[in-house]
Amino acid sequence: MEEKLIPVVCPWCSVGCRFYAVSVNGYIRRVEFDYDHPTITNRGKLCPKGVASYQFINSPQRLKKPLKRVGEKGEGKFEEISWEEAYGIITERIKEIKETYGPEAIAFLSSEKITLEENYLIHKLSKAIGTNHLDFPGRYCQYSNSPARTAVFGSSAATNPFEDLAKAEMIVVWGHNPAETAPVLFGQYIEKAIIDNGVEMIVVDPRSTRGHKYASLHLKPYPGTDLAVALAMLNVVINEEIYDKEFVQEKTTGFDKLRESVKDYTPEWAEKISGVSADDIRKAAGLIAGKRTAFLVNEGVNQHINGFNLSLAIADLIAITGNIGKEGVWSGVFPGAQCGFCSAMTGIAPNKLPTGKLVTDEASRAELERLWGFPIPDWVGFDLTTMIREMGNKIRMMYMVAGNIAKSAPNSGWVREQLRKLDFLVVQDIFLTDTAMYADIVLPAAAWFEKTGTAISAERRVQRSYKAAEAPGEAKPDWLIIVELAKELDFGEFFKYSHPDEILREINSVIPVFKGATPEYLAEHLEGCFFPCSEPGEGTKILFKKGFKTADGKAHLQPVEWREPPEIPDSEYPFWLTNFRLVGHWHTLTMSGESPSLEKRWPEEYLMVNPKDARTLGIKTDDLVKVSTRRGSILVRAEVTNHVREGVIAIPNHWDNNFLTLDEIHEKTKMAELKAVAAKVEKVEE
Amino acid sequence: MAHKKIFLDYNRCIGCKACEVACEMTHGEARIKIFEFPDLFTVPFNCRHCEKAPCLNVCPTGALFRDEDGAVAFNPLSCIGCLMCAVACPFGIPKLDEENKIMDKCDLCADRREEGLLPACVSACPTEALKYGDINEVLWNREGKVVANLKGSAEKGEGEEEAYIIL
Repeated sequence: MEEKLIPVVCPWCSVGCRFYAVSVNGYIRRVEFDYDHPTITNRGKLCPKGVASYQFINSPQRLKKPLKRVGEKGEGKFEEISWEEAYGIITERIKEIKETYGPEAIAFLSSEKITLEENYLIHKLSKAIGTNHLDFPGRYCQYSNSPARTAVFGSSAATNPFEDLAKAEMIVVWGHNPAETAPVLFGQYIEKAIIDNGVEMIVVDPRSTRGHKYASLHLKPYPGTDLAVALAMLNVVINEEIYDKEFVQEKTTGFDKLRESVKDYTPEWAEKISGVSADDIRKAAGLIAGKRTAFLVNEGVNQHINGFNLSLAIADLIAITGNIGKEGVWSGVFPGAQCGFCSAMTGIAPNKLPTGKLVTDEASRAELERLWGFPIPDWVGFDLTTMIREMGNKIRMMYMVAGNIAKSAPNSGWVREQLRKLDFLVVQDIFLTDTAMYADIVLPAAAWFEKTGTAISAERRVQRSYKAAEAPGEAKPDWLIIVELAKELDFGEFFKYSHPDEILREINSVIPVFKGATPEYLAEHLEGCFFPCSEPGEGTKILFKKGFKTADGKAHLQPVEWREPPEIPDSEYPFWLTNFRLVGHWHTLTMSGESPSLEKRWPEEYLMVNPKDARTLGIKTDDLVKVSTRRGSILVRAEVTNHVREGVIAIPNHWDNNFLTLDEIHEKTKMAELKAVAAKVEKVEE
Repeated sequence: MAHKKIFLDYNRCIGCKACEVACEMTHGEARIKIFEFPDLFTVPFNCRHCEKAPCLNVCPTGALFRDEDGAVAFNPLSCIGCLMCAVACPFGIPKLDEENKIMDKCDLCADRREEGLLPACVSACPTEALKYGDINEVLWNREGKVVANLKGSAEKGEGEEEAYIIL
């Protein structure tokens, strides 16, 4: 059998690593490192998930036939049916629900785990059916930093390529642990900047991790209180007049209102709230103002209800210190998944069109109607949490692709109760996920390496990944399922695609920032292009060099105020509970839990607890403990460690963490409280 | 011919275990291991391919041999699983493959080297904590870097805080 080296993009995080899937007769035999293309992000390197990344596609648990639920919802009893029957049932139910309740009773969930082309098609199908209830699990990812940066800079995407980290003088890592979540980014860019170039690193995180050992200053706020730290940094930078005066004068608006809004937030005030010493806040603020600083922020910033305020404060700080729009800096959203931008940039949101314009904008709607050939609904749909809240009420049916909200959405117990209330649920995925257990129809999808498609990395690289394996049984690529279903729904004339290249060509003509990312260009340039790539060969490596994406080209500094986390520890629930990720796992374990080399090394969840707290609680490492919040409780083993500060407990977020989190959402961004809740811990006698 | 080795630049290690997984995917079992310490310190460790390898000297069947790159390589067909190599090794590197009743150890990916590829663990290592090459060349580079860092520190002057880790 001949071995073929098929170039692919890694299917886990958003660093955008490339490698070869060594394909033999439709199976992937192994992974080979790509040392042939020196300009790819990863320079050949891979993390443990990357190396093991083909294991899950060969799992015997893969879905191979369409399934119809025959037992109770959540029970897991299904029977295999044909594709014809599955499409028949779905078509009938969609028509029935549209007639009874109108298309606004139907909601779609797209995914950061499928290709750019597939996100585009799901968006198109939802609009063809007549609903704007459209979102993706990324709602719980970058939807603090993204709207905040859009408000300040007019665009939220990463400003610079990763290589610019080496040219920085300072790297601030805030609520982010790239040594575990993006090891290739850490090893090839951050660690080299620190060890080889003498770049300093400041870390803001309640935990200490292996990546943090290189930091020269580590601020450890209580979870959800780092907003106070950021406000105090603004206060210091403005009061001590160490901001970039020329930059503020020439390139920003709103400075006076910002100064007014933070005038009372002294470091001493912040110390009382966050537990970070006023001296350290002053020191960090001084370093940020005085050095060319890159900001790597992630879920520790995003996944709070006050994460929007925190993201605004950090964006303001970046702006007034002039750390944007030039070489040697870095800031921006950092999607969790290899295709987060594939959803965001095809307008997967309840208020957007794929062109990035708003559904309420009549002219943009009319333009899309002309391109697509059918009417587009003009109302703003529901965000993901509101969809869940309205299940069985305003939302009667959901169509979910490659998302596991029974585990990833806040307050899992509540989510599962809500899932039972739907009249009809279709789940399209590669495994029978916790969410699929509640589906009426489950459709077996081809996995990442089993189809050709486009991915977009955190540094805005648009890259192609090619089919290296055959899907098992009757599983089909997500794009093909959507095309076939659209035909059954009599939308065939709008979905005439027989290959992902044809879909990408339509995207090239509909979404201006991808105009130059043609199938031909990406095939010849495996390293991809940095969007906006307006013509083939023309990418944009550094954003905002000539001004910001706002109407007047200036950064709009936003006044920002303190906002308390929704839950604060009290006598009944005395601990701040937060969560983190492990290098060997990814999100809800759908893929990494089916990867034997990862599963055996990172087998279970555990609770990090400080030795002083452990003494009070009478617990030792490996004791079984019950962790409870007002939503639910889980049983885990304790790990007594100094790497979490006193008063804070932390668990990995891949297992049952979300039974504990809070489904309250921010009124504007719709972000839930996924990172800081009040909890108690009890020892369980065995 | 110069001997090629894997040098462990453990200060760069973040304990991600990409090396273990890459080794396991290549050989079925991981022959390199990350040792983790409570202070966040991690050390990757594999066969040292000693210049005066005690395992090689005590192997009664000649299953262990020095290959042309200097690796202490291994012919499974000659191995009788007598454990003598394990007894002699000061690190405990050779392990018993219970299924095949022979010993198992790192051979610096002989099959990959034959194809002009780096050992799997080195190919993967995202931080370059594992460096493969002519060992003295690797060490000269390291020495050069340390000296450059010393010079940088001296130029910073007295009283200024050390900004980076000296390897």
